[in-house]
Amino acid sequence: MSAAVDIPTLRRDGATLDAPVTGACFNRAGTHAAFAAGDGSLHIAPATGGNWQRVAAHDGAIMAAAPDTDAHGFLTAGDDGRLLRISVTGAITELFSTGGKWIEHVISFAEKSDGLIACAAGKQVHLFDAAGARLKTLATPSTVAGIAFDGKGKRIAAAHYGGASLWFTQSKSDQPRKLDWKGSHIGVALHPAAEALVTSMQENALHGWRLSDAQHMQMTGYPTKCESLGFTRSGKYLASAGADAIVIWPFTGGGPMGKPPLERARLNDTLCTRIACHPKHDIVAAGYSDGTVSVAEITSDRVMLIEAGKGSPVTALAFSPDGAVIAWGTEAGNAEMTRPG
Amino acid sequence: MPTVEKIPVTVLTGFLGAGKTTLLNRILTGTHGRRYAVVINEFGELGVDNDLVIDADEEVFEMNNGCICCTVRGDLIRILGGLMKRGRTFDGIIVETTGLANPAPVAQTFFVDEGVNARTRLDAIVTVVDAKFIAAQLRDSAEAEAQIAFADIVVLNKLDLVSDEARGQAEARIRAINPLARIMPATRSDIDIAQVLQQNAFDLARIVEFDPDFLQSDEHGHTEGVYSASFEVSRPIDMHKFQQWMGTLLQEKGQDLLRTKGILNLEGENRRFAFQAVHMMADGDFVGDWVQDAPRKSRLVFIGRDLNRPQLRRGFEACQVKG
Repeated sequence: MSAAVDIPTLRRDGATLDAPVTGACFNRAGTHAAFAAGDGSLHIAPATGGNWQRVAAHDGAIMAAAPDTDAHGFLTAGDDGRLLRISVTGAITELFSTGGKWIEHVISFAEKSDGLIACAAGKQVHLFDAAGARLKTLATPSTVAGIAFDGKGKRIAAAHYGGASLWFTQSKSDQPRKLDWKGSHIGVALHPAAEALVTSMQENALHGWRLSDAQHMQMTGYPTKCESLGFTRSGKYLASAGADAIVIWPFTGGGPMGKPPLERARLNDTLCTRIACHPKHDIVAAGYSDGTVSVAEITSDRVMLIEAGKGSPVTALAFSPDGAVIAWGTEAGNAEMTRPG
Repeated sequence: MPTVEKIPVTVLTGFLGAGKTTLLNRILTGTHGRRYAVVINEFGELGVDNDLVIDADEEVFEMNNGCICCTVRGDLIRILGGLMKRGRTFDGIIVETTGLANPAPVAQTFFVDEGVNARTRLDAIVTVVDAKFIAAQLRDSAEAEAQIAFADIVVLNKLDLVSDEARGQAEARIRAINPLARIMPATRSDIDIAQVLQQNAFDLARIVEFDPDFLQSDEHGHTEGVYSASFEVSRPIDMHKFQQWMGTLLQEKGQDLLRTKGILNLEGENRRFAFQAVHMMADGDFVGDWVQDAPRKSRLVFIGRDLNRPQLRRGFEACQVKG
């Protein structure tokens, strides 16, 4: 793992957008990154350098972006109530519309020729097949604050008031498994092998359920709300934002109960605002409230500084599918990428 | 982090049928040159086509901090966060509550959520009141009382439908509940919009503008429902004693204390200290120097239920340094 952070010489590519960056992702082939902006535009950038393309996609802000189920495209969700499929050349297809209610989340899953798309608007999660045909609509007791698939696309989780709901995507019944815990749950992460479900909460804490026996886990000590969390690919660790370091909870050997978290890439008086887990290794990228971006290896103290902060908080962060390129964006509209030289 | 100017949020409350939607339409179609995002609950009532009108379901939840009156609007945290994603494409945000809503969760949201507090500020709570039906609505609904109690501005509407005598009675009812609110007379919500928006009414600095006259009419009057109690002391305040007393008071009586505002003359301090609380959540800061050579008096106003005036007076007086 010693050479895990393989960014020997940093080559940079970037642009300043007219609005805050609200999302960043790569397509599944890893050929292009896409930056979503608060003015409704999507900016598609070749991962190996070259001209960026601006696509006027939504009438309003893009609330979330995700890779499409195919190799090259992207998906965007907007506060104009539309779910769009945007090809790498910028062609737009509307997959779904709520008629105005904000679509705040979109995620996708793809394996071989199969795939799933999910988006959330209000108290509903809409599930689509890889082609974008709607399969079903799942209801939640209050507005959905976050959605996540497991590593196989077998389950989908949604966070809301009073806990989380977990559905089997192929189930004939739309009744979820309800995981209850009082309070407002504002984000969700699902263990890749569905061993655990973890939510972030309004009260600067994480709450988790071990799915084998529904045992509760409470992870506290955050100075602010955790607005970004995710499991590493191996499922051994849960990385989270919300503190002045990346807070990493071990999910090995009985889970995080009774164990202190690891803290990586600490920055004094600066809060981690976004994390992104490496697609293969136990490595986490982190963005901070002053615009700093760094990459940390979980099993060591190795940290690589990618970007010294220019002042504006990091609002979006993503690894390419091979883990070699990092894309991030800031509230001030900076959209940046680094890749191997 | 660079400091950016916070976007003002106006909360618009009012009894059913009082003229809230009319006022909202006037704001949205007015020629004030400003652009507002509007968060509403009853979609379709609004006759204005505006891409910045957001349909929200009021979702109130209790914070897990052991405080049962600490309820906040989770939907508002989400929506204000979402609106901020657009960048600065509008000048202000107006949040309309349903006619039956208690304004406390909205106000508390600004105390509780750091993200909301970092980017937006509560500008004013504006309550539209129907001059003709105020007595009946206060009798029938505790929320109506709370809406007046929380108001920074009360729009006393439909005055063309009442006599001068009834108007006087309505104003007296409002004053008895909330002596600090500014009352704006109106017919068909025809007020000067500039007098309602961008008021900084929730700014601590505005507490300095207490009207000293209200103190005189206070000691008698209502002791039922929501009413107010005001106190003034002349000797400087011991900050430590005040914090202890107020902390305990808000802990024990916070549910009944809807709003508390104060301006304090702290011992050894040339600056005025402003203080305010919504139920148990308090906020305070220095807001500029005292006027030279003028008497420095500390004042405190409580708006709430079951106020024990003698006890509150003794408590406040005991916060003074020894004479």
